[in-house]
Amino acid sequence: MSTIEEASPARGIRVVIVDDHAIFRSGLKADLDPDIVVAGEAGTVEEAVVVIAAVRPDVVLLDVHLPGGLGGGGREVLAGSVPLLGSTRFLALSVSDAAEDVVSVIRAGARGYVTKTISGAEISDAVRRVAGGDAVFSPRLAGFVLDAFGTAPADIADDELDRLSARELEVMRLIARGYSYKEVAKELFISIKTVETHVSAVLRKLQLSSRHELTRWAAERRLL
Amino acid sequence: MTTAAYRPPLVRGGDRVIAGVCAGLARHLGWPVKMVRIGMVVAALAGGAGVAFYAWLWIMVPTADESAKRNARQPASPIAPAVSAPFTAPASQQYPTQPYPAQPYPAQPYAAAFAPSAPPVPGSAAGTAAAGTAPASEGQVPADSWRSRVTSLRYGKEILLGAGLLLAAAILIARVLGVDVPLGTLIPVAAILGGAAIAWMQLDETRRAGLVDKTKADQAGGWARLAAGLALVVAGVLVMVSGSGSWEQTWLALLSSVAVLGGVALVLLPWGLKFWRDLEAERAGRVRATERAEIAAHLHDSVLQTLALIQRRAGNETDVVRLARAQERELRGWLYRDPGKEAGQLSEGINAAAAEVEDSLGHAVEVVTVGDCAMTERHEALVQAAREAMLNAARHGGGAVSVYLEVTDGAAEVFVKDRGPGFDPDAVPADRLGVRESIVGRMNRHGGTAIITSSQDGTEVRLRLPQAAGTASGAAATNSNGEARL
Repeated sequence: MSTIEEASPARGIRVVIVDDHAIFRSGLKADLDPDIVVAGEAGTVEEAVVVIAAVRPDVVLLDVHLPGGLGGGGREVLAGSVPLLGSTRFLALSVSDAAEDVVSVIRAGARGYVTKTISGAEISDAVRRVAGGDAVFSPRLAGFVLDAFGTAPADIADDELDRLSARELEVMRLIARGYSYKEVAKELFISIKTVETHVSAVLRKLQLSSRHELTRWAAERRLL
Repeated sequence: MTTAAYRPPLVRGGDRVIAGVCAGLARHLGWPVKMVRIGMVVAALAGGAGVAFYAWLWIMVPTADESAKRNARQPASPIAPAVSAPFTAPASQQYPTQPYPAQPYPAQPYAAAFAPSAPPVPGSAAGTAAAGTAPASEGQVPADSWRSRVTSLRYGKEILLGAGLLLAAAILIARVLGVDVPLGTLIPVAAILGGAAIAWMQLDETRRAGLVDKTKADQAGGWARLAAGLALVVAGVLVMVSGSGSWEQTWLALLSSVAVLGGVALVLLPWGLKFWRDLEAERAGRVRATERAEIAAHLHDSVLQTLALIQRRAGNETDVVRLARAQERELRGWLYRDPGKEAGQLSEGINAAAAEVEDSLGHAVEVVTVGDCAMTERHEALVQAAREAMLNAARHGGGAVSVYLEVTDGAAEVFVKDRGPGFDPDAVPADRLGVRESIVGRMNRHGGTAIITSSQDGTEVRLRLPQAAGTASGAAATNSNGEARL
């Protein structure tokens, strides 16, 4: 099931697709823009860890739910690829939309989260963004962040990691409302680069915050 | 980017010398196996603490197989939440990136190194007794047989051997303590016990399970009956003994019987534990089977029917998309429904409106909600206005419609955004009731506001309903940045 193809000499973004459905993998491969090279595929946790270590891609498109391993799915692939997290970026894909899945995979080190229903152009865009070191937030993920961190801006006294700043809240709200980064930048009269900085800051808080409510909130939240 | 260090679960197995405890511990802690083993031996020499610790881990820590079985009982479906599943499983699966690959550790040298320093299991007297009749590593034999019994019940011989050794140890201790042990009495007792054990062992596992089941030994009543019987026997023996001899002798007899019973209990403990675990596993398996049946029934009623419909309508793309979306929504509702969540929440109303629009127009409507509150009459108006906005967005805008609901202490806000070509809100004719009446007018009547922003990138409708009625002023209009309040 796993394949490692010859590294392409073209200067494209090299990705590994990790998903247990071969149909989805081939569909995604066909959907991706030509500058994104699929350098490997894997269908289980074990395969994924091996293929990612061998290929060392720029971006891994990682399904949250995977067979194999200890049953931890995408989180386990991330846990098994910890030494590579500096060079290889992970973009989580899922059909589930359940808060606990999303938050856990982000906290394990993924740089973004998108649903599997998004279009080929959107996912290519997301891959480029993640490869460039930015975070990719879907409206759903932004909603989770707002729900988890609360919609009140940070006090100075608060721990910096446990609250979002007023500006970050604004950005998250607009993303939750369906705005693209470009639209957010236009709406707030800031550059796209600044939007990306805010989003990355939120991602960092989401990953590092020791706020115990965050985990509890994710576990309790089962709606959707 | 820092993430929590990955730590494999604590399970026994892999390369084992006795029960795989050291190997499992080493894997769990990320220490070299050799160090853990040496540490355990040193601890064992220090007053036997290591032996106690080892035994405790042996009993409490599941083997890799048992752990895998338990893991397999967790929902394996790709749609079930994986977070709730404990992170346990076969420890033999190693990631290549982990710094401690499973190295086949030579078992023989270790056993040799361990044997001389291993404290005798039942006590020092037993150690000398065993040493007299067997090689120096004899102290390991009962331990090995215990291990076998935990995994399988076929080792009746080892059980008997262990029991015999324990009995011998008890007698020797009694002798060392200066008690005159009446061997003439004990040997028949041992014979009886041995006979009973053999008879018990002859029953194969299933029949034994059936017997226990029939006598309801696994129920509270069964245990009570068993305890009562034991008490009767003990009392009878006490009366008999005290009738024939002095109280001193009675106490001694009592002491020795308790010792014997304790020894037997000790020998049978792993077996009992194993039996109990099997029972638990079986029960969990039954629960799982019931769950599976329920899921199968639901999938048959909903998903399979929809798939059949989709196949018949494969030519009509809109119908297929509509069916797929409706089915997806239904399945999500079933999978992630929250039984603790009371009905009649605002988010539910918005979701229902979105579903309705999706069904009637075949456009995907993505709803994101943050916060929630109970539905009131005024919120009903908000939902109706939002529904109208979604209908417009789906009708005139292209692509997916994004809906965002945010409920705070102060207000409930709904944002409906599409990516259509946009229109000029001021240019909408006054006789067009859609936007003016159903959205803006409705919101204003209930003390809320509606703002419509439109550009060539799309249109967004912002609805705001303050929680306390009458605080909003629906009059002031801001016409900046292309925003128009109608």
